Amino acid sequence: MISETRGIAKKGGGVFYGSGGSIRRKLLHLLMQFSATLAAEWKGGIMKKKDMTRREFIKATGMVAAGTAIAGAGVGLTAHPAWAKKKKNVIIGMTQEPVQFNPLLYVNSGTEEVPEACMFDALWDVNEKGHFIPNLAAHVPTLENGGITENGKVWKIELKKGVKWQDGAPFTAKDVEFTYKTIINPKIAIRSRSGFDMISDFRVLDDHHVEIHISKPFVPFAWAWQKMHIVPQHLLSKVKDINTAPYNTHPIGTGPYKLVKRVAGSHMIYKKNSAYHRGAPAIDTVIHKFVPDQTVLYTQFKTGEIDVLGLHGVPPERFEEARHLSGRNALVTPAPWVEFIYFNCGKPQFKEKIVRQALYLAVDKEKWIKDIFYGLPPKTLSYLHPSHWAYNHNLKDPGFNPKKAAEMLEGAGWKKGADGIRQKNGIKLKFSMSTTAGAKAREQAEAMIQADWKEIGVHMEIKNMPASVVWGEYTTKSQFDTLMVGWEPTVGMDPDYTARCHSKQIPVKDGVGSNYVQYQNPKLDKLLEEGVLISDMEKRKKVYYKIQEILLEDVPFAPIFAWTFMYGKKSNLKGYKINPYVTDITWNVQDWSWA
Amino acid sequence: MFQFILKRLVQAVPLLIGVSIIGFAMMHLAPGGPLAVYTLNPTITAQDIARIKQVFGLDQPMYIQYFKWAYGMFTGNWGNTFFGGRPVLDVIMERVPATFILMGSGMSLAIIIGMLIGILGAVKRYSVFDYLATTGAMVALSFPTFWFGLMTIFLFSLKLGWLPSGGMFTLGGDEGILDLLMHLILPAVVLALVLVAQWSRYTRSSFLEVINQDYIRTARSKGLTGRRILLRHAFPNALAPLVTLAGIQLPWLFSGALVTETIFGWPGMGRLFVDALTMKEYPVLMGMIMITAIAVIIGNLLADVINAMIDPRLRLEK
Amino acid sequence: MRKKSSADFGLDEDKVVESSAMLEGPSGVSPDALSHYYETQLRRIWRRFLQHRLAVAGGCVVIVLLLTAVLADIVSPHDPLALDTKLRFIPPLSNPQFILGTDEMGRDLLSRLLHGGRISLVVGMAAMFATIVTGLAIGVIAGFYGGRVDSILMRFTDTVLCFPQVFLLLVLAAFITPTVVSIALIIGFTSWMEVARIIRAQIQYVKEQEFVQAAFALGASGRRIMLRELLPNAISPVLVSATLNVANAVLMESYISFLGYGIQPPLASWGNMLTNAQSYFDLAPWLAIFPGVMITLTVMSFNFLGDGLRDALDPRVGM
Repeated sequence: MISETRGIAKKGGGVFYGSGGSIRRKLLHLLMQFSATLAAEWKGGIMKKKDMTRREFIKATGMVAAGTAIAGAGVGLTAHPAWAKKKKNVIIGMTQEPVQFNPLLYVNSGTEEVPEACMFDALWDVNEKGHFIPNLAAHVPTLENGGITENGKVWKIELKKGVKWQDGAPFTAKDVEFTYKTIINPKIAIRSRSGFDMISDFRVLDDHHVEIHISKPFVPFAWAWQKMHIVPQHLLSKVKDINTAPYNTHPIGTGPYKLVKRVAGSHMIYKKNSAYHRGAPAIDTVIHKFVPDQTVLYTQFKTGEIDVLGLHGVPPERFEEARHLSGRNALVTPAPWVEFIYFNCGKPQFKEKIVRQALYLAVDKEKWIKDIFYGLPPKTLSYLHPSHWAYNHNLKDPGFNPKKAAEMLEGAGWKKGADGIRQKNGIKLKFSMSTTAGAKAREQAEAMIQADWKEIGVHMEIKNMPASVVWGEYTTKSQFDTLMVGWEPTVGMDPDYTARCHSKQIPVKDGVGSNYVQYQNPKLDKLLEEGVLISDMEKRKKVYYKIQEILLEDVPFAPIFAWTFMYGKKSNLKGYKINPYVTDITWNVQDWSWA
Repeated sequence: MFQFILKRLVQAVPLLIGVSIIGFAMMHLAPGGPLAVYTLNPTITAQDIARIKQVFGLDQPMYIQYFKWAYGMFTGNWGNTFFGGRPVLDVIMERVPATFILMGSGMSLAIIIGMLIGILGAVKRYSVFDYLATTGAMVALSFPTFWFGLMTIFLFSLKLGWLPSGGMFTLGGDEGILDLLMHLILPAVVLALVLVAQWSRYTRSSFLEVINQDYIRTARSKGLTGRRILLRHAFPNALAPLVTLAGIQLPWLFSGALVTETIFGWPGMGRLFVDALTMKEYPVLMGMIMITAIAVIIGNLLADVINAMIDPRLRLEK
Repeated sequence: MRKKSSADFGLDEDKVVESSAMLEGPSGVSPDALSHYYETQLRRIWRRFLQHRLAVAGGCVVIVLLLTAVLADIVSPHDPLALDTKLRFIPPLSNPQFILGTDEMGRDLLSRLLHGGRISLVVGMAAMFATIVTGLAIGVIAGFYGGRVDSILMRFTDTVLCFPQVFLLLVLAAFITPTVVSIALIIGFTSWMEVARIIRAQIQYVKEQEFVQAAFALGASGRRIMLRELLPNAISPVLVSATLNVANAVLMESYISFLGYGIQPPLASWGNMLTNAQSYFDLAPWLAIFPGVMITLTVMSFNFLGDGLRDALDPRVGM
């Protein structure tokens, strides 16, 4: 039976299309016949059955689609991508996209700062020299100009006159009051109240004057207002729930640009606000483009599809190439974060100071910086960037000395067991290190450290997890062994570091703070408390010098380097200024222009 | 027929409930959550995080959260995203056009080319063409699509510079249809690769079965030409498994191709899923799961209905 | 305890009565002739298999891959984890020490490919076992008992089928610490649906056969029938499914590792070797090409092998 069928099939081929001839001819023949028949059937409507029509419909649509695709490709291949001759727009490229645009509800700081800077203003900004410059406030309040009272507890702020919201309504003190009220409203998912929870009284004196009373003098208070942008009271006060307000996707601010179009997953388009109170911006349109892959983004920067490269910037292995691109500027931009290895001092392996010091000694920091980041970021020995005004330049670098590290451990009673891992009193120097899975540079660093520590008899296991896991309770409830993480000081660029190392700021014990390493040092506590009370910069410096010394000695977290990115822009884009005091590349977007 | 459809729809309800429970459980039982992203921001304290947790409603026991969500679904309120408070339906719907365009063109391409190859291969079994086609299909099925995508970007975008390397439009440009097509070619072809292989195989085996039947032999002995036999007799009878295949692939129109969209930076549903997964946007994830499940059910139902319409034999079975 | 009757298994009462008359083997032949019959059966299957040149080629490649996976430690010229940043990005064939070049951390690509192959194949095989066991269990129980049990199990299968596999994998990957075993398990537990369906159909078909009804008539228990009569007849679809499943499992592992949810670096798997490769395209394209070629080769070979097995074992073609 089977052989019969087979024979017939073979013969069938012959019956259908005649024997002999080349395959190609037969193919073409068949194709032509098929399409001809199809066309005939379609036209003649011989097939009345529903199924045939459906199939034909699908086929017809498909053929049209295919044909258009091929035609389009053909035409497209000969056309050129549209690059405007005279640039009226600037295209900023980042790997992440902002998902909502209410400046108080932020999540993704690096990328959401673009809508923030474009559409909103704060009371004052900080410029590239670290000085506060007034924005919505007429002057920045200080002790000298009487803006801050003698006891440091009252801040008097005068607001600029004649500022209008983008919908035409006037900007008044009510908006500032409303912003404050929103921030402290427990029902709203504000990202942070840091600094605002110290406000004991908020008085609106008139349309352009407010008075803020804080419970105790707090010098970093200026930073709190620098970060918080003002939202319109006349629009948001009527909204039932700010968390889900449609305003969040169609915001109105006082800023230099207005959001006009958004294609989720692709880009956002802003058009200039000609009535901007600091003067209409020179560039008509700002386009914020999102490309998930860093290398693809960099390639688009090279080809000119993108004018400004931000957020993570140029991938490390392209630093050299980026420096020599013609028509481009490579912008070495310091970021406020410092890369640390966090040791969980609550875990038995890390209770002893000498263990942490030895581990720190056995990490080849120079190699880390040179090989993985191609030498770009500067080494740091404290939680501050070396260019920060409060950085202690007298700190002594222990260097890279694995032999000494081994000796230290040996001397402290950590002897190598049969498996080559050091142990003492039944505790083995065996632990895990965690960071965001998929962070290439960090994974490479972990591999290096793992090898280095193996040499001195320490077994480190790499245990990376997705960001939403590792930075959740795993970190906040101090469940980790060690972390590789980058963090900035807690209140703007103020050197205050209370939240991260004060003994009463351990979340798993006290419910407040971010001292995830569970470090407790009463001497340090006193210094930290002192530091926020002194307003004289020189006096403060001394206190913070001491703090950094203690932290380097005890190494609850091991500082490695200060993050530095290489951003890029086209050479003929003027007005762009690198500002190490903010993480926002668009902080002065209203000043940009094309040469 | 109507009863059949009604019965299937009724059966679909417990299915959907089961899907929603499983999906919800998986998501909430998994470690980590949307709050993790706040930890990286130094200005946020543990109290802030606890407060935000309350606002999101994540501090309540899981079954309460589930019932709240389910109730919302019934009343048409698919919830709001954690970050930004946007209605979930809006967030999903704004991605649908992009996914439709990509999947639609990929699938249409695949169906046409796949069926052509399959029919040819069946008709000319054991010929060189058939051999090549079958082997080719097998090879195509074995490529990891993301790798194939990477290779095409490498060749056509980086080395030859013919086509853009990603995204849907050239920004600052005219965003016209030609621009879209240029961006569409690579991802659509990459997607179509696997689909073509599937379609050609299914078409070929289905046609083979039909061609070897007695009634085809009868038709031939009656003197009908090959073309006529192919179209009038073989094709309609070979359709059933193909319709089923189309029904199975229908949900793809919605769920998108996660990996392909990620590589080509295509702003579609697949990307949305990956992003939502990274940020642990539970409302969005649940919304997408429900949409996919509905698409699967409808796809299977449509395929069964159409098959029943085509083939009376199937109508007798329940 | 009432003895189970054929009605419990959904069988036709008449057929059982008829078959109980047949108390000797299928064709009333002696045991010797029987075993000889099975032998020539096997020979025939083997010969049919050998006719498929591609399947044979696939099979050979699979054997080679398995061998290199087992002997990876011996065959690799270097330690796949040994890094030396001074030796990064060496192109293939330019340095006799590193035949296939090095990656971004200076690790030998060949060694990583071999060890990555071992990991990917282990994951593939283990996932296949999990799939087959789960699919068999569900398929046999559903096919055998029929009725409510079948209905519930199939409904459950339908529910799981509503999730695209990659969706499920990504969500499940968040639950586990990604080790070789856990990844294999989640891949296995998201791929069993098709196998269950095939097995169930096969069991339903075999259940109607005469020799099964004879076993009923002889009073064999449900479990005995499942194990002794039904399972052996389900072997051929299982074999085919198993081979094709390894292919799919290797592919799935590469997908989730590529997305970062699978095997974690610095441990190498073909999938995660490709994760970084996209960034280094113009610097070191070989990093992206080789792992992808290996994945394609492996999956292809298993697919050809499975196809060949299916054609060789398919009774419709043979008998």
